[in-house]
Amino acid sequence: MSADGPGTRSTSAGEFEEKVKELHQRKGRNLAMGGPERIAKQHERGKLTARERIDLLFDPGSFVEFGLLAHQQSMRGNEIDPPEKTPADGVVTGHGLIDGRQVWVIAYDFTVMAGSMGAVGEAFKTSRVRELAMRYRKPIVWLLDSAGARIQEAAGSTFAGSGMLFYDQVQMSGVVPQVSAMLGPCAAGTAYIPGLSDFVPMVKGTSSMSLGGARLVKAATGEDVTDHDMGGSQVHCYESGVGDNEVDNDQECIAQVRRFLSYLPSSNLEPPPWVPTEDPSDRDVEGLDELVPANPRQAYDVRKVIRRIADQGGPAGEGLRPAAGRGDSLHSNSSWFEVKPSWAKNLVVGFCRMAGHAVGVVANQPLFKGGILDVDAADKAARFIRLCDAFNVPLLYLMDVPGFLVGSGVEKEGIIRHGAKMLYATSEATVPKITVVMRKAYGAGYFVMCGKGYYPDLIVAWPFAEISVMGPEGAVNIIFNKVVEAAENPAETRAQLVERIRETISPYVAAGWAMIDDVIDPADTRRVIIQGLEQARDKKVERPWRKHGNIPV
Amino acid sequence: MTEVKAELVGNVWKVVAAPGDKVEEDDILVILESMKMEIPVVAPRAGTVKEIRVKETDVVKEGQVLAVLE
Repeated sequence: MSADGPGTRSTSAGEFEEKVKELHQRKGRNLAMGGPERIAKQHERGKLTARERIDLLFDPGSFVEFGLLAHQQSMRGNEIDPPEKTPADGVVTGHGLIDGRQVWVIAYDFTVMAGSMGAVGEAFKTSRVRELAMRYRKPIVWLLDSAGARIQEAAGSTFAGSGMLFYDQVQMSGVVPQVSAMLGPCAAGTAYIPGLSDFVPMVKGTSSMSLGGARLVKAATGEDVTDHDMGGSQVHCYESGVGDNEVDNDQECIAQVRRFLSYLPSSNLEPPPWVPTEDPSDRDVEGLDELVPANPRQAYDVRKVIRRIADQGGPAGEGLRPAAGRGDSLHSNSSWFEVKPSWAKNLVVGFCRMAGHAVGVVANQPLFKGGILDVDAADKAARFIRLCDAFNVPLLYLMDVPGFLVGSGVEKEGIIRHGAKMLYATSEATVPKITVVMRKAYGAGYFVMCGKGYYPDLIVAWPFAEISVMGPEGAVNIIFNKVVEAAENPAETRAQLVERIRETISPYVAAGWAMIDDVIDPADTRRVIIQGLEQARDKKVERPWRKHGNIPV
Repeated sequence: MTEVKAELVGNVWKVVAAPGDKVEEDDILVILESMKMEIPVVAPRAGTVKEIRVKETDVVKEGQVLAVLE
């Protein structure tokens, strides 16, 4: 300030400074969250604070906060804590950049009233984020660490006006990517936030989600169970399939969020980002002969095949460990990113890049349950296929499927209904679809893995592929049952008949009819897939108008 | 003690490990056959095989204990 200005100005300047000082004080107070003690406690639990998480999530210095000055308000004239007790009303919101692209964030602050969802936070702050993310068509990330609804504000029938967050999420579905990072508890209705999200990584040990928290469950049903035992990552990433990837800590969880979003566009109106690669498009895929047994009965790890086919290098793994389970040290630097690696392991889904373009991979996994399709595998595939189709990510089907599991057990589980989801999703998808029949392609398994009838843009087979309604043994049992029974030496007769049928199961039969586009040397697989993706780059499919189809759920 | 269970219904194609064998994690204990596939059942951890509760050609149900490690 100029010292020689008119006196009135100098007074005004004093006020000016005062007001600005107050602003900084108010902001500083709220930036301090729940205070040093509660922050220390958060760290003791092995968790980062909401603001530390946001720093990890966004490119350095890019976070812009909305609603920092918010705090709890009095509802219905009841007593409330003074404003300084509820900085930002327990939720940090705003936007920032991930790999240079705008993303919106809602981060619950457990150091303020256990991250509980208050009226200000919910009705004004988080709704503002949802509104703007949709207005600009940008992804939204929830960093969840919250005790749930703030009962002292929510109890009573003003509940009648709540709940629109899930409605908003449904409107956002398929328009912008939605991610829920599970970094702490997420109890009661709020568990539907991850339930409606496209990707849900969970931190082992500290995170949990359940429709009712432990205390509510005890009161409602008498069951004695902890939040962790009821809804930890060991439940949701291994048994229920609600969670996607189990991770060890907050850092890894947030690295996974960044990685997941790197394969998707900001919205359904854009193509996914292209990432330059040094990996030649025409590179031979080496070592498949050692990896994949030509005997179709024998198991192998299909993830190793994917890593060899996919682009090597690309954006660093940001400290990510290889996908859970058996690693593949040879190509650990692959662009492959597996989703739901520990649930329904008989089917593998995830993203990779081919010639720099994002691709969604759906692969049968002979290593687990022989790669058979069951209810969970069908659900996992259907959900992933729809995610890719919604966000313009081409699909690669790597087929080695003995079919759908049959029997009384799976019928009770509704295998027809669940299998129909996969049929539906594959039929519905209009993104480029490339099918490689590696080995087995039996029965309806061939259909749901994008067989000829599902309009793949390219369908090719490896030389030992077996495409058939069923295996030769099963076929002989049905066609030649009486012949075998009447034979002098049934075992020998059966073996001869099996061989006779087996000769008719050959990729050259299908290729001879031009039902598949080619039979290829497995070493050419990468080149062929990339050519197929290029060929279909301008694909546009018009469908007759309808409100929406009716996917079996 | 760790019970190793069948992940799906099938029959026992081969019994690979025997009681008393020392095994590493992921070593194959039993191979099931189901839906035309050989399905290896592996040790979830290193240990010693205490029991093998099935023999070849047995039909097993999902969740049935095939082997016990200690």
